[in-house]
Amino acid sequence: MLARTAPGLAIVVVVFVFSVGGAPPAQVPPAPAPATQTPSELTINDLRGRPYSGPRVETPRGLDGKPDLTGYWRPLREAGKPGGNLGKDETNFALPFSDLGRRALLYSQNHTVDPEAVCILGGIPRHNGSGLPFEILHTPKRLATIYFYNTHRWVTIDENRQPPTSPEPHYFGTAVARWEDEALVIETVGLRDSSRDKIWLDENGNPTSDETRVTERWTRPDFHHLTLQMTVTDLKYYTRPFTFTRTWVHGDPGQGLTEYACNENNIDAAHIGPGAGAIGPDGNRGYGYQDLELPKDPPGPEKYGL
Amino acid sequence: MKSRLLTVCVLIAITAAASSRLVAHHSFAAMYDANKPIRLVGKLTKIEWTNPHSFFYIDVTDAKGRVNSWTIEGAGPGALSRRGFNRGDIDLGDTLIVQGYLAKSGARIVDGRLVTLPDGRIINGGTAGDGGPGSTAAPPAGPRSK
Repeated sequence: MLARTAPGLAIVVVVFVFSVGGAPPAQVPPAPAPATQTPSELTINDLRGRPYSGPRVETPRGLDGKPDLTGYWRPLREAGKPGGNLGKDETNFALPFSDLGRRALLYSQNHTVDPEAVCILGGIPRHNGSGLPFEILHTPKRLATIYFYNTHRWVTIDENRQPPTSPEPHYFGTAVARWEDEALVIETVGLRDSSRDKIWLDENGNPTSDETRVTERWTRPDFHHLTLQMTVTDLKYYTRPFTFTRTWVHGDPGQGLTEYACNENNIDAAHIGPGAGAIGPDGNRGYGYQDLELPKDPPGPEKYGL
Repeated sequence: MKSRLLTVCVLIAITAAASSRLVAHHSFAAMYDANKPIRLVGKLTKIEWTNPHSFFYIDVTDAKGRVNSWTIEGAGPGALSRRGFNRGDIDLGDTLIVQGYLAKSGARIVDGRLVTLPDGRIINGGTAGDGGPGSTAAPPAGPRSK
């Protein structure tokens, strides 16, 4: 099914492997047309999810009878809530920092260039708060989440398996998953630490520590929707666990991830400063929400001694 | 050539108004200074059609007659192509007017928010979603104001 969405041989191979692994035919609408849009052709309207108003289509299921999460998923943006900020449901969109967490935040904002901007893995939980679509390939024993900048993680589904006690730190940590009724619960530990590694908790440059545990509860209530309730427990940098929720909508027929040449000509990498930049009162990074516009007659380079 | 270019520019203007380029790989504020708007006039010397952004290089002559090369960050080649702006539609040596923001690093790099092509049409180069000024709703393209 997914071969339609990507011309790359690698993806075709992945689909083949999944087919051998026993993924059943999904209960999906008619086969779509091939994808034609590359990442740089997409617009904001292609990436964000739009509320689905068509007839309900049953949740597709795998050979184990559990919901099959496979699909191309576009995030629904909540009105009045910032994007890319895991504190979107907190008071003033601010996470409950501990004293150590505030120091780690200062470090992230003043020493760490946005890892994704220099083609470093974004990791978990950051990707779950991203405004970009992502893709899932799911078999009864393995699940892959594949992201826009051509990075991915693998999750083992095994109710008898526990997270490792002293894992090697990774951007995506080490994840194991189990089913709780209709919800796939993924537990991740062994993440890198923002005070010494190039990892952020979210797009706003909030910190995450080597003690972070991320618990994701994924459900697919019908064909067109994917929901997440994610709890981040990091009592090193935050005073209490906090929760992030989001709903994704299945992409249009023919849509899917394609090639993204992150490092092809990333001239910017040498000029990007540390941190996410100014965070506005609405919880978003940057200046785009403060009604700033270019002046009518900007000065020439001589104003800046250039 | 000129009529073809005009057609291309009109297509760019219409498309840019409806769908600005996207997939910000970094936030505007991490690389550019919103307090340093800048306007450049220069001759096109080089184009790199690459991801995640295309880059246009222009030679700008300053008040003392010195020529400096500036780098203008633009949309990726796919986005430009979708707007009808393909390789060969502009020539090296063409004069471009660029309005945007200076890089925080102090290098001669500009985020090209508005680019005026030789026929006077203006391309909206703003990146939706990068958090840059005006990125929530891309301003419409329009004729150059003098």
